[in-house]
Amino acid sequence: MSSRRSRGTPRITDEQIIELVSKLQQLLPELRNHRSNKASASKILQETCNYVRSLHKEVDDLSDRLSLLLSTIDDDSPQASIIRSLLN
Amino acid sequence: MSPPQQPSSTNPNSLKIRLTHRFLHNLNNLNKKRSNLDNTQIHQRYNRVKLAAYASMAHVVGSRRAWSRAILWKIRNRKVSTRHKRVDHKPTNHHHARSIKRRTTNHSNPKREYVDPNGNSGQEVKLRKLVPGVETMDACGLLDETADYIKCLATQVEVMRNLVDLFSTI
Repeated sequence: MSSRRSRGTPRITDEQIIELVSKLQQLLPELRNHRSNKASASKILQETCNYVRSLHKEVDDLSDRLSLLLSTIDDDSPQASIIRSLLN
Repeated sequence: MSPPQQPSSTNPNSLKIRLTHRFLHNLNNLNKKRSNLDNTQIHQRYNRVKLAAYASMAHVVGSRRAWSRAILWKIRNRKVSTRHKRVDHKPTNHHHARSIKRRTTNHSNPKREYVDPNGNSGQEVKLRKLVPGVETMDACGLLDETADYIKCLATQVEVMRNLVDLFSTI
């Protein structure tokens, strides 16, 4: 990953990238418990891609459930008034 | 308020609260548009909820981040294009929006080995496709944006999960 030298921006150093990658590692649920720098950059990137994809899928799934729940609420029921007060 | 120089100004607790408020607000607007239910409406509602989720994420973060700007621009562009079929204003984002739109419609394509003009390949390119707004960024910016995007996305998922639990037990 770091094999590519950024053009015209000498400010970016390897240390910066390493720091950012380790920061990313802390966010990933899989690698957070390892607590070491042993995870390689490519593994971290791969876990990141997988994690983002799984998050996207979760958003889809939760949107689906939320839309179903919202649509099954009868307008006149007490539940609806609770939710209405919540949504305001 | 939080100091402007702070790179990770997203304290998880306040972010969650802000996301909850915004998402509920968006859901409320969505509910107001309610009409009679049938199958097509349900699918439409699913899309609107999903849109509300990403929109509230992007709105809470504002224009501070490239990914949120990309999402906001995509939403605005979508609204414009449903009326006018024209893309306007920022010429630099023009190309952006088209590539973003193309990316979302090609979501079901099988993965191909792709090497972009800069010589990136593999993971970095995949990441650029997943995170909005980072296509032309350097490696540092890409990692930074990804970290922020993941934080916000995870919080948004948590908010939605709480809401689903709440609504299903009422």
